[in-house]
Amino acid sequence: MNSPDDLEAELLELGEALDFPAPPPADVARAVRARLERPAPDPRPGVRWRLPRWRWVTAGVAILVAVLVGLTPQGQAAVAHILRFAGVEIHVGEPGPLPSGAPSPLPSETRVTLDRAREMVKFPILVPAQLGQPGDVRVSDGGRVVSMFWPGVRLDTYDGLLEVVWRKDLGEPWPEQVRISSAPGWWIAGPHGLTYFPSGAGASRPLVRRAEPTLIWQRSKVGYRLEGPSDLDRARKIAESLR
Amino acid sequence: MLVARYSAVAHRTAALLGAGGEAEDVVQEAFVKAFRHLTGFRREAAFKPWLLRIVANETHTMTRSRGRRSDLAQKVGAAPDLRTPDDPEEAAIATDRRARLLEAVQALPEGERQAVVCRYFLQLSEAETAEVLGCPLGSVKSRTFRGLAKLRKEVGRELS
Repeated sequence: MNSPDDLEAELLELGEALDFPAPPPADVARAVRARLERPAPDPRPGVRWRLPRWRWVTAGVAILVAVLVGLTPQGQAAVAHILRFAGVEIHVGEPGPLPSGAPSPLPSETRVTLDRAREMVKFPILVPAQLGQPGDVRVSDGGRVVSMFWPGVRLDTYDGLLEVVWRKDLGEPWPEQVRISSAPGWWIAGPHGLTYFPSGAGASRPLVRRAEPTLIWQRSKVGYRLEGPSDLDRARKIAESLR
Repeated sequence: MLVARYSAVAHRTAALLGAGGEAEDVVQEAFVKAFRHLTGFRREAAFKPWLLRIVANETHTMTRSRGRRSDLAQKVGAAPDLRTPDDPEEAAIATDRRARLLEAVQALPEGERQAVVCRYFLQLSEAETAEVLGCPLGSVKSRTFRGLAKLRKEVGRELS
């Protein structure tokens, strides 16, 4: 239409000079959450949500789309196959770009000692001898998940094999079926989207984040997801060293 | 995560479109609506304009229900946030010119003002602006063009 001229430059400059202090995002997030917990009113008539066709403009937006898509089952229409295993639902299809940003902690995540964690949860907590004592131990969601951390490695041990605790969104190829000792497991070789579904009624919203290569397996009635080791051999060694 | 990423631009949009002191309320409500209507959000759509459109709708609803639009120029005039050059005299002139330009933007008819605000103050593309304001691309172009012409006339006359 018209090339940038003085007035346009001046308007841009003026816009940049206009400063509207926004409250800290954490406060806004808290307020929004509080509002979301109230029952939904009927949609206001006359407000139309359908928007004209549009293309992705930036990678940032695309990443967000992936986050949103992960939150909405309807958004997952493009998913080709679903695999359920050990409390994990793996969606293989067109996952879209990976979520980004700092991951939120799991619900009511508490930092504890290993001994304290063993008192807090109903299932046995095993530690991989390959890695030694964890640097950090956290119990979340009323004792449903125990997370142990070593540099670059995270092991989640969780209860709830009968319900979906985690969901993973990834593209082709299919995860690789493996055996850990004699137990079945799956190896996901690349980064993927990971969603945690909080337990119980009135639970908080699903949490979405990017996950690194992950091995999932099941032993007795406990599910394990080991995240971080970049190759299957190392992941398997760690997994098989649970004591 | 969503809120963290878009809180600032959402507040800015609400304030610039006239929500004034109620920008916080508008933004919170917009995020709530965005979450509740995620299913209406299509995979191939860009999230920012979609969210900002909700912000714009909320702002519109709010200002209509209050029967007024908050006076942006006054608010900005009162705030010492205009960045200015070091030289005090130059600074005074620059501030004065900016204040007048802002007043002129405020005085534009609704459609043109919104288009100018989106294009220059929020630095949205024409297509994003069309989506935020819910109007055809052609209207964005013509409104921006008419708005700029008026501003040029207004500010240019004052300066000469």
